[in-house]
Amino acid sequence: MRKPYIQRQRADWWLRNPGYRRYMLREATALPLFLYTLLLMSGLYQFTRGEAAFLAWLELLRSPWLLALHALALAAALFHAVTWIALVPKILVIDTDRLRVSPETIKRAHQAGAVICNIGLLLLAVLLLGTAGGH
Amino acid sequence: MTETVTVRVQRYRPEEDTAPWEQSFEVPYSEDLSVLDALNQIKDQQDPTLSHRWSCRMAICGSCGVMVNDEPKLSCKTFLRDYRGQEAVTVRALDNFPIERDLVSDISGFIDHLETVQPWLIREQENAVSEGAYPQTPEQMQRYASFSQCINCGLCYAACPQFGRDPAFLGPGALALAQRYNLDSRDQGAAQRMQWLNAEEGVWSCTFVGSCSEVCPKDVDPAAAINRGKVASDINYAVNLFNILRGKGDA
Repeated sequence: MRKPYIQRQRADWWLRNPGYRRYMLREATALPLFLYTLLLMSGLYQFTRGEAAFLAWLELLRSPWLLALHALALAAALFHAVTWIALVPKILVIDTDRLRVSPETIKRAHQAGAVICNIGLLLLAVLLLGTAGGH
Repeated sequence: MTETVTVRVQRYRPEEDTAPWEQSFEVPYSEDLSVLDALNQIKDQQDPTLSHRWSCRMAICGSCGVMVNDEPKLSCKTFLRDYRGQEAVTVRALDNFPIERDLVSDISGFIDHLETVQPWLIREQENAVSEGAYPQTPEQMQRYASFSQCINCGLCYAACPQFGRDPAFLGPGALALAQRYNLDSRDQGAAQRMQWLNAEEGVWSCTFVGSCSEVCPKDVDPAAAINRGKVASDINYAVNLFNILRGKGDA
């Protein structure tokens, strides 16, 4: 008589090999970004409550804990972007009779796009801060 | 005295055991000894009650998949020399599948998933046999060639945490096979297979852990196949939405 033993997935499956741990690390980058989003939303809320409340929020941002959160969120976003773009050539394959783009070109194009967008955003922020009276 | 290696083998005898357990064997070591050779040595010389599957001994039949030191491997393609210096080599039945006996897994769930994706050439209209074969250029064949190398060994399913969590997930092997036919210039069945790609158990249950591609002994790269399937599924969604907005109904 058959009596197959059903294997259940263990809660710590992801600790078992380096590949799984790297994957979980990439997934976990969502956590600092979630906290960062909450922080930005709280800023928006303080902004609606008036100038004093918003300035107090700006002052709060100088706390070492929140600076650390910013650094962590930046590192997480960069790690996610780099590892994700490295996978793009597996997903986006352009190989038809009329058009063929090499995987390396697809990866480089995405890297260039990310760098251009980030520098553009930084320039825009600097420009806006400049016109706001160098605050 | 001949050098020996310790091989710890998982045992599960449904008649008497309620859970798997581990049994240690000493196997005479040689440079060219594969894990499969070690298992055969144990069965032939030490304990004939050990059950394990194998056939070709050359990584073609896909029967001998087991967990070697917690990694899904073909036992015929894994050599004890690569584990030298380690205290022991542990051999278990493949993860994520029910264990039938000792190292024998019940992979019928995976086989059912393979059939689900209709892995054959689908034609809107079949040509008469007298018209000959459907022609294909070597370039057209290259577009799916890597995905056609699968030997159905199930290692990718043992490596996939999403399949471990939910056995209804069609999984790496079946979805790679769907992609193999969808990319075949002779096939016209992509629209029929789209329902399986789009399903809850289809491509969107994959979270791109990527482990399936790392363990594949034939370099099929199922993770790439599934995620290309997500692109196809996205395009299908957009086209359907566009058609609905234009009042043409679901495409």
